[in-house]
Amino acid sequence: MEAKEDYPEILTIPVKEIGSEPVAHWRVMKPVIKYDLCRKCWVCVHFCPEGVISESEEGPVIDYRFCKGCGVCANECPAKAIEMVREV
Amino acid sequence: MGRLDLLSGNRAVAYGAKLSRVQVVSAYPITPQTPIVEYLADFIARGELDAEYIHPEGEHSAIAAAVAAAVAGARAFTATCSQGLGYGFEVIAQAPAYRAPLVMAVANRTLGWYWSVAADYSDSMTTRDLGWIQLYVESCQECLDGVIQLYKIIEDERVLLPGMICLDGFHLSHSSEPVDIPDQREVDDYLPPRKLYRHTTDPTESEGYVFPVIPTRLHTTYRRLFEGVMQRAKEVIREATREFSERFGRGAYGLLEEYRTDGAEALLVTMGSMSTAARRAVDRLRNRGVRVGLLRVRFFRPFPSEELTKIVEKGGIRAVGIVDRAVSHGTSMGPLGTEVASVLYAMKDRPNIVNFIAGMGGDDVSVSDFEGMVSKLMNTLNKDGVRETVFIEHRVPLAKPSVTFKDVTYCPGSQLCSGCGAALAVRHVLRILGKNSVIVFPPNCVSAAVAMHFPSNWVGVPCVLANYAAAAAYARGLQRAYKYRGKKVYVTVIAGDGCTADIGLQSLSSAAECGEPIIWINYDNEAYMNTGIQRSGTTPAKAWTTTTPVGPRWRGKKELPKDMVSVMIAHKVPYIATASPAFLRDFEVKLRKAMEVVEKGEGLAYIHVQTPCPTGWRFHESKTVEVARLAVLTGMWPLIEVDHGVFRLTVKLPKLRPVAEYIRLQGRFRHLSDEDVAEIQELTNKNWKKLLDLDGKPLW
Ligand SMILES: Cc1ncc(C[n+]2csc(CCOP(=O)(O)OP(=O)(O)O)c2C)c(N)n1
Ligand code: SF4
Repeated sequence: MEAKEDYPEILTIPVKEIGSEPVAHWRVMKPVIKYDLCRKCWVCVHFCPEGVISESEEGPVIDYRFCKGCGVCANECPAKAIEMVREV
Repeated sequence: MGRLDLLSGNRAVAYGAKLSRVQVVSAYPITPQTPIVEYLADFIARGELDAEYIHPEGEHSAIAAAVAAAVAGARAFTATCSQGLGYGFEVIAQAPAYRAPLVMAVANRTLGWYWSVAADYSDSMTTRDLGWIQLYVESCQECLDGVIQLYKIIEDERVLLPGMICLDGFHLSHSSEPVDIPDQREVDDYLPPRKLYRHTTDPTESEGYVFPVIPTRLHTTYRRLFEGVMQRAKEVIREATREFSERFGRGAYGLLEEYRTDGAEALLVTMGSMSTAARRAVDRLRNRGVRVGLLRVRFFRPFPSEELTKIVEKGGIRAVGIVDRAVSHGTSMGPLGTEVASVLYAMKDRPNIVNFIAGMGGDDVSVSDFEGMVSKLMNTLNKDGVRETVFIEHRVPLAKPSVTFKDVTYCPGSQLCSGCGAALAVRHVLRILGKNSVIVFPPNCVSAAVAMHFPSNWVGVPCVLANYAAAAAYARGLQRAYKYRGKKVYVTVIAGDGCTADIGLQSLSSAAECGEPIIWINYDNEAYMNTGIQRSGTTPAKAWTTTTPVGPRWRGKKELPKDMVSVMIAHKVPYIATASPAFLRDFEVKLRKAMEVVEKGEGLAYIHVQTPCPTGWRFHESKTVEVARLAVLTGMWPLIEVDHGVFRLTVKLPKLRPVAEYIRLQGRFRHLSDEDVAEIQELTNKNWKKLLDLDGKPLW
C-alpha cells in the first residue's frame, strides 16, 4: 500500500517567524541578579552569548528558558551584582 | 598472542594502520572519520608510530598527498568520507592509474544533497566504478583486520591498486566492541614491508615512472587490461583473507560471508554494520522455521559474482532480498541491488528479487525491520519473476518549535556550547546586518547549530549552506543575482578560520581579487572546532589540538599561524578589520563600514573576529569575554583596520599586559614552559612595534 504523502516535496524553512526549543536543561549554575547592587550599566545584556538578558526599569531580566548558565554575565558584571547559584 | 581491548571502529582502523606500520599519513578532519587521524597523530606524538604526518588544507590535497606518497614508495594512509570524499573525487579517480597501493578509510556518511553526519553509502558508492578495491566491514574487529588485509592485497604485485575500507559512520566508527589487537610481530610476519616496484617514482633507484596520459586509441585497451587486474584481484583477496584467518584465528573472511544459507529458500544480501541486525533476524526466523539465510558482501569491488552464483545455484533459493544503504536515482534500485540482480538475471531459473532501500542518512535498520523484509520476501514465493523495490521508512512528524519569535534576525536556543564566543559574535552580526541579508554558511560550529533546529532555525534571515571550499563562490553567485535583479541585499559569509585560512582560501582569494561586494566574517576560534579541535592555519604556535598533540615527540603546533590580515592586504580589498567580542562598539563600527563598502559595490569587506572557544581552548565557559579582552590587551589580538588602504590601530594601548595573563588562562597552552611564554612575549612585542609604526599610514 502506498503511504500517504504527508511531507512537502520541497522543505522550506520559515524566516518571518522563527523559533527554537528551550535549553534550560543544559544549566548547572543559574545566574541570579541582585538588583540592589545593579548599576544598570547593561554589560551583561551586551555580553550574554545567547542574548537572553534584556533591560527593564528594575534592571536586567534573564529569560531562563534559554539561559545555558555559562556565567559570562556574572564574570563581566563590574558591580558583582550577578551570583551563580548551583541548580542541579 | 595479541591483547583484547575495547575499541571503537575508528580506533580499530587507527590500530590497523599502526600495526601495518604506515609511513605517511595525510588527512583532513571530517565527522565521523576524524578520530582515526587523531589517534594516528597521537601514536606519532607518543613515539609509538614512526610516520610522517601531513596537515593539508582540504581533502583534495589530503588525498593527493597520500596518493603521491604511495607513488613515491611509502606505505601511505588517508581517511575521509562524505563531502570530503566528494571534494577529493578527482584525485580518487586518478589514483588507480598510478598503480600505487594506498589505503583510504571511509567512515561512511551521507554525501549531501540533504546533509547528515551519519552513515549511508552515497559517498563511497560514487567511486565504485573508478578501479579501487572496496571493502565494507561489519565489526570493529574487522576494521582493524581489514586495514591489514587490504595492505596485503593491494601491495601484491598482481594487484597494485588503491584500496578503500568502508566502515559505517557512527554505527561502527563510534561504537566500541572488544577487539583482539594482534602482536606487531605477528602482523610483520603476515605483511612484509612495502616494496619498491619498477614503476615507483624514485629518481635514485627506479627504472621509470607512471605518467597517466595515454593516446586516445589505447584508452579502451587499457580499460580492458585494468578490468583484468580487478578480476585477478579476486584470487589475491581469497588467498590473503584465508591466510589472515588462519594466522590470526578469525572466522572465514573472503569476498563475501555466508550465514545459515543451508536449506534456505530466501536469502538476504547485506553489507556493513546492518548485517549484525540481519543475522539476529535470521536467527529468530530460523527458530520459527522460516528458511532464510544471509549473505554479507565484504568486497563490493571487485564484485564477488562467482561466489554469489555458486551459493544461489546450490539450489532451493527462490527469493533474494538485497538491502541497499544507497540509491541509484533514476533506476529505482540501489547499487548492490543492481549488481546482485545482474548476476541473478544470468541464471536459468532466477529467484524473485526484492531490492530494499534502508538506513539512508544513518537511519537505524532494526532486527524487526529485517523481519519485515523477510516476510515481504516470503510473500513472493507463490509468484514468479518478481522484481520490485521497497523503501524501508521510519516516519517522524515535522513539529513546529515550541517557542516562536516574529520579525527578528536572531532568536536564542542555538545548540552552540555554553559560553561560546562565536555565539556572542554571530548574534551581534545578525543584529547589525538586519533583515535584508542572506548568510552563506560553510560547514562550521555555527552552521551545524543552524541545522539542528529543523524545520525551524534561530537565524531569522535566509541561510545558504555552502560547500566548504566554495563559500566565497556561493556568495558571489548570490550577490550577482541580486545585483542583476536590482535588489539590495547584504550577502555575508559567516566562516570559521578553517574555511577562511585553509580549505576556502582559494575561493575567497578569487572573490577578493575580482572585487565582489560581499562581507566575509571570519570568526576565528583558532581550530576546526565543529569536528572536535583539530589544527587549522590560524591555530597559534605551540597550541595543543587533537592533531597537534603533546607527547614526547610533539609539543603542540610547530608552525606560526597564517597571517590572514596580511593575505587580505595583499589582495588590496577596500575594507579589512580585526575585531573582538570583548570590544563590541569597535566591532559594530567596523561591520557598519563593511556594509557601506559592499553597498557602494567597492569590493569585498573582510572582518576577522577572534572568538574564544571554551571547549577547544580549555578554559571555563564564564571566561569567554575575559579571554577575548586579554587577547587584545596583551597585544596578541590587536584591533586594527585597513580602510581603503590606510592602516589604523583602532584600540591603541599605552602599555601591553604580559602575554602570560592570556596564555595561562587556557588549557591548550598548559604544556608551555616559561621559555615558551617568553618567546611568545618577544614575538608579540615585535609585532606590536611594527603595528605602531604602520598606524595611520597608507599601505597601497
Ligand atoms: C569538504 C569538507 N571537508 C570537511 C568537512 C568537515 N567539516 C565540517 S565543519 C569542519 C570544521 C570547521 O572548522 P572551522 O571552519 O574553523 O569552523 P569551526 O567549526 O571551528 O567554527 C570540518 C572540517 C566538510 N563539511 N566538508
Ligand atoms: S566548540 Fe567552541 S566554537 Fe564551537 S560551539 Fe563550542 S564553544 Fe562555540
